[in-house]
Amino acid sequence: MTGPATLEALMLEPTADAPGPRGEELSLDSAETLDRFLAGVERGAFRIAQMALRDRDEALDAVQDAMLHLARRYADRPSAEWRPLFHRILYNGIRDRQRRRSVRARLFGAFPGSHDRDESEGDPLERIAGGGPDPARQLMNDEAMQRLEVALAALPARQQEAFALRCLQGLDVAETAAAMGCSEGSVKTHYFRALQSLRTALGEVY
Amino acid sequence: MSEHDVERTDETLERRARAVFDASVGQLDAATTARLRAARHAAVSELRSPRPLAWQRWSLPVAMAASAALVGVLLWRAPAESPEPVAGPVPVAAMDAIEMVADDDLEMVTEELEFYAWIEQADPAGNSGGQG
Repeated sequence: MTGPATLEALMLEPTADAPGPRGEELSLDSAETLDRFLAGVERGAFRIAQMALRDRDEALDAVQDAMLHLARRYADRPSAEWRPLFHRILYNGIRDRQRRRSVRARLFGAFPGSHDRDESEGDPLERIAGGGPDPARQLMNDEAMQRLEVALAALPARQQEAFALRCLQGLDVAETAAAMGCSEGSVKTHYFRALQSLRTALGEVY
Repeated sequence: MSEHDVERTDETLERRARAVFDASVGQLDAATTARLRAARHAAVSELRSPRPLAWQRWSLPVAMAASAALVGVLLWRAPAESPEPVAGPVPVAAMDAIEMVADDDLEMVTEELEFYAWIEQADPAGNSGGQG
């Protein structure tokens, strides 16, 4: 598995100039592999971004940027490296947006019309009518998810990241370390502390 | 709470959190999934579009840097060869030479730009054959 230092080096040295299949054209197989990979992670990535940014459109933009960045610069990497790379790019984008937002907030203050809460969750009727679980079950899930989001939002950023990648996205410790750009030991520490806090916040309801 | 209880609580919490998260992912509305799909297609189509070769992308900045360096060297060398200010035709000739070199370089850079634009127009599929 690629270690964080290696991934760091990979990201600092994009392979646009490297010889290989990326040159002028990438084989159809590679494009299809990338398509399958992105199809597998796009929804989870969107929800992670939405939880972090609390804004649907910004979350969609962050995911789109991460997809484009991965395709443009790292598509010729072995597909096994895509997952940590993609999440690393995604979290970089999320942090950039959070920074820009905090600068904007400092500059312009809290206008009455401004919002930091997602106001466009989509059409709830469409969600219910979409052939999903029964409404009562869905309501329970929504409530549980909301509690999880609130509890996660109260954690320090790195703990949120470690929990989202390890638990929600299912990355292993090495992949999470690569995605977070830190050591595996740090991942374990962040994750352990996140679990401790979440246990306190959610233990009774979960 | 014993260590075993804590472990069990953590496992339950992790399992429940993952289930709730997966459920929320599964409930994304059609508009959101459509936008995600469009974003994915845009990203994948990047792979299918032609890209300039490495030497094509680097040649212009390298040519410009080389031109600037050349002009700099000529400017630096010109007074060194004539330590005392010399009035008359010599400095004028040196400046003419610099201008000629600079003009040639700029012309070359412009020609290259036109050449790359022509390549793109002539072969939109990207089969420029630059690497054999």
